[in-house]
Amino acid sequence: MAIGMVLDPTTTRADDIASRGPDAGLLTGKRVGFRLDRMWRAWDWISELWADKLRAAGAEVTFWRSGGRSGEEGERMEQSYQEFLATIDVAVVGLANCGSCTGWAVRDAITAANTGLPTTAIATKNFETFAHEIATRGGRSGLRVHVLPYPLNERVRPEVLAIGEAHFTSVLQTMGAQLLAKDHAA
Amino acid sequence: MTIEFIKPGAHRPALSSKPLISRDCGPEGCEVDWLASRRHETDLGIDAFTNFALERGWGDGLPLVPPTDARVRAFLAKNDRYPDEVIAHLPPTQVECTVEKIAINAVMAGAPPESLELLIAAIASIADSDFELYGVNATTAPVYPAFVVNGPIRAALDIPYGYGCLGGVATKVAAMGRAIRLLMRNVAGQVPGVSSQTTFGSPGRVAGLITGEWEERSPWAPLAERRGVKGNAVTSFGTMGTMNIIDTTSHKARDFLEMIGKSLAYPGCNAFSGAVPFSELMVAINPICAEIVGREMPDIEDVQECLWKFASVDASQLQALHRGQLEQQERVRANGRVYATPEPKDILVFVCGGPGGLHATGFHSFGTSLAQTRPIATAIDASQLRTGT
Repeated sequence: MAIGMVLDPTTTRADDIASRGPDAGLLTGKRVGFRLDRMWRAWDWISELWADKLRAAGAEVTFWRSGGRSGEEGERMEQSYQEFLATIDVAVVGLANCGSCTGWAVRDAITAANTGLPTTAIATKNFETFAHEIATRGGRSGLRVHVLPYPLNERVRPEVLAIGEAHFTSVLQTMGAQLLAKDHAA
Repeated sequence: MTIEFIKPGAHRPALSSKPLISRDCGPEGCEVDWLASRRHETDLGIDAFTNFALERGWGDGLPLVPPTDARVRAFLAKNDRYPDEVIAHLPPTQVECTVEKIAINAVMAGAPPESLELLIAAIASIADSDFELYGVNATTAPVYPAFVVNGPIRAALDIPYGYGCLGGVATKVAAMGRAIRLLMRNVAGQVPGVSSQTTFGSPGRVAGLITGEWEERSPWAPLAERRGVKGNAVTSFGTMGTMNIIDTTSHKARDFLEMIGKSLAYPGCNAFSGAVPFSELMVAINPICAEIVGREMPDIEDVQECLWKFASVDASQLQALHRGQLEQQERVRANGRVYATPEPKDILVFVCGGPGGLHATGFHSFGTSLAQTRPIATAIDASQLRTGT
């Protein structure tokens, strides 16, 4: 048996932000931005449902949809996302519901969080651990991740809307958000 | 929304290699003393080290060569790079991939020192944001980067481009491919079930895929040259795998291309995913078929156009939800067809394979990952610079 030294073949990221980032706080009067994609109609339905509720509570809601992330189109996407972030006070970023889309959703959530925005990524249960892993590797292990059931996109619209309804209160908790001033004060 | 055409990002680097001067260290060679990686004490036997590496998540299950200081220094001493040079930042961590890390993983894989510049060019190519390594390494898909090598370096590194060139030939090309796969694992951090969600994976994720182009048997200019790089070059393509296309019947160019094009266009391929606004395809044509096609179509653009016309589906044949997504993207053209790529130029064609003919290979891309071509650097001899020769 020959004992000796070997060189480590790995590289790991040393820096990390373990903080969850700021709470969204009282949403009345705030601009809440939803990041959508082209893959998951279930996320479109849920974000529209939540948007209606947020508007009813006095928030302003806008949407940004991710498209191709390579070539000239990718650079356009990057620029338009930065412009979108500059127009909102709170970011809700989804949907982490596959491998690459979790990668991109978490990457976009980290970008938002790194600008100082209260940011919550939305993942489905199957990709929850992966979302946290990618967030850690991206340097923000504390990123807020709200988890929806899985499978999600395979369900019909009434089922998906019921899930969105059931998760509205808990997503507000993950965001550190309140709809009413009395809740905010509490 | 209109059809999105593929245009490279404005950030594209120059397609010429950085001048590399050989390190003139005299007959004893250079001694590299600044390896920065952490050292681990272990049993240096192959079996023991392989187990040690697996426990730490460094390995792929095959035997590994222990990357001792002596081996890594010897590897670097035969090259003209300093170990602290940063070649790329690899997602998702965006950590630095240095020459030292490439050398360590190459030693572990059993790759020869002479392959370092190929490995560097390959890593630089897939680190380009247009390659979308962020998605490639995270996805549920089985995608992995495949590499096509052009230029005299094919012979120098014994990279096959004839019989069995896509896998199975007994040269060190498998070790070179494996080195890239170990870098994906150990530097880019791609680990199935942890940072990669790949549903099935792929045999190509073990030893990779590196092939040469049989330029000498191609009726057309080499692939890399058509993409702006003459001589030694590597083209990376994020592929879902290799798809064989057999044709024992055709004897005319258009017939061969019709068979290949139609075979490429199956509804479940990346090109027709409703989540993907655009994608590329790559096709390997064997030298016999290439000769026949080249006689009728000396311009590669004609070959691409012919393939493109056939690499399409009738939208009415698609399942309604899928068709709806493609309609939303306005990808259904006036003739009712959906084309696999936005334009004919987006189908990359190259020549390789044994002269037995009969087969073509299709490569379907992943997401919007775009192929990248990079030059492979060759050092200028420092002594020649001094003497002006």
